[in-house]
Amino acid sequence: MGLHHVDGYVLLLQGENILPFLDGLSSNLVNGPCTTVFTDRAAKIIDACDVLVIGENVALVGYGDEKDRLTRHLLDHLLGQNIQIRDISSLNKIYIGDGEEDYPPGATVHEGWFGTVCILGNSIDFEPTWTEEDWREHRIQNVIPFAKHEVTSRHHPFACGLAELVHSSKGCYLGQEVLTRMRSRGKFGHRLVVKENPVTGATTVGKAHSLSIERIQ
Amino acid sequence: MDCGTCESASPLQVHVPDEVEVDLTMTDKARDMLTDAFGDDRSHALLVGVLSGGCSGYMYDLQIVESTETPCQELNINGFRVLVPRASSHLLNGIEIDYVDRLMGGGFKINNPNASSSCGCGESFA
Repeated sequence: MGLHHVDGYVLLLQGENILPFLDGLSSNLVNGPCTTVFTDRAAKIIDACDVLVIGENVALVGYGDEKDRLTRHLLDHLLGQNIQIRDISSLNKIYIGDGEEDYPPGATVHEGWFGTVCILGNSIDFEPTWTEEDWREHRIQNVIPFAKHEVTSRHHPFACGLAELVHSSKGCYLGQEVLTRMRSRGKFGHRLVVKENPVTGATTVGKAHSLSIERIQ
Repeated sequence: MDCGTCESASPLQVHVPDEVEVDLTMTDKARDMLTDAFGDDRSHALLVGVLSGGCSGYMYDLQIVESTETPCQELNINGFRVLVPRASSHLLNGIEIDYVDRLMGGGFKINNPNASSSCGCGESFA
């Protein structure tokens, strides 16, 4: 059991009809707290984010280097809607783990697809119980792709193990036509696998096993 | 979580494209269909808007409304009031409203010279 500190970002969205707005731009059904993937027209990943509903506000938590790209993507699609986006990353620290942890008072905890996410204001002292290596081994054991490794703008969600975050019947969203075609034809091009070391071209290298995205023959 | 709803985190700046004076046309078929829909009543207007979403990023939104709180340009096209939201004027300038009469995929269609691509069903564009 443990929690690992991750470099990520938190965007706070305030206003009206935030969830439908996010639903129209991402691959999972966004009608409450969830994890979803923002894709472009070619279904390549912009970023995968956890969606936290906090009262009337919504927080988007991302784990990669794509904050600026995602923010621009969201702002470009606002079209006068009454939604404001604040970047509150610098006010918080983000931890992720297996959910078997005692969280300090003031923690915002969310059961996401990548793991249990814990967000703490900077004023709260907390010592993570997992090292980077612990988190890496946990991901390899459970075949969990993650930002900067497998979840990158070079891949579509199916290729990097995020098929569970591609809803099959939610309707249109950016990239949906491409992903639906892949699913209906059963042609995904690449897939995420775990292999015993040594693994050439591994995306996450562990002690004995590694994660890799390989072409489907 | 420190949500920063105080002044410590100011909203991100939205780059708002310049509003353009919308030039919009309507085919005879679309005009006939609107005539059927409106009858002699001209108190209502056709709202032609854009929403985010759809397979290509933006979706057309056609509504018949009496009024709207959305800031709009009001046009008179063939005797019909047509409202175009100011926030999406840059995406709708030059469009042609058409009506396609067929069993599958029929209905009002937008031909948009600003669209670099559109999805299979024609309801969204980029």
